[in-house]
Amino acid sequence: MKFSLAVYSAPYSAQSASSALRFARVLLAQGHEIYRVFFYCDGVQNGNSLTAPPQDETDLIAQWQELQRRYHLDLVICIAAAQRRGVLSEREAKRLEKPAANLADGFELAGLGQLVDAVAHSERLVTFGG
Amino acid sequence: MTLHIVNQSPFSSNALQDCLENFAQGDVLLLIEDGVYALQGEFFRAIPGARIYCLEVDTAARAQEATASAKPNVEVINDIRWVQLCTQHNPIVSWFR
Repeated sequence: MKFSLAVYSAPYSAQSASSALRFARVLLAQGHEIYRVFFYCDGVQNGNSLTAPPQDETDLIAQWQELQRRYHLDLVICIAAAQRRGVLSEREAKRLEKPAANLADGFELAGLGQLVDAVAHSERLVTFGG
Repeated sequence: MTLHIVNQSPFSSNALQDCLENFAQGDVLLLIEDGVYALQGEFFRAIPGARIYCLEVDTAARAQEATASAKPNVEVINDIRWVQLCTQHNPIVSWFR
């Protein structure tokens, strides 16, 4: 079955960010398809490449990237939410004249329309927030 | 039939209360994360006969296994069953505020 996930919470702030990753893994292991994972609100921090958790803690960003490479997932970060929270691609950093870019590889910036598109093209949407 | 997912403790959030107010006949409830603390109260009187599930890892992490098994209509499920519930129900509504 075709799923999309919406992630509203930042890593290390709420358990729901790691629940989303765990759910995604189980979905894929069960043979289901993930059409898109849309990161919105504080969830955009899941695509911040400058996070540096201690080595003995789970690196959620790296694990999303690993899953993305393995399954060619469409990991989309809401561009408006990301700009407000300082998650910028090279292109956005240049355009907004900011000193650095930090969008993690494997993630893409796009508009909220991509969440609507995900709802339209998926059989199920599961939201992770809090 | 809707699958309602609650991930907040009813002792610190209105999420469960809001969910129960919108619960329809045939809907099912899944408690995850801090939502499993709802097992400690008598919250489910509002939805008599409804199927209630709680996620095994979150229930164990919060030492709520005994409270879960003491409730007759509550079933403890693993992540694979969680995915199955999502395939069996539509829409899936998450309550986290």
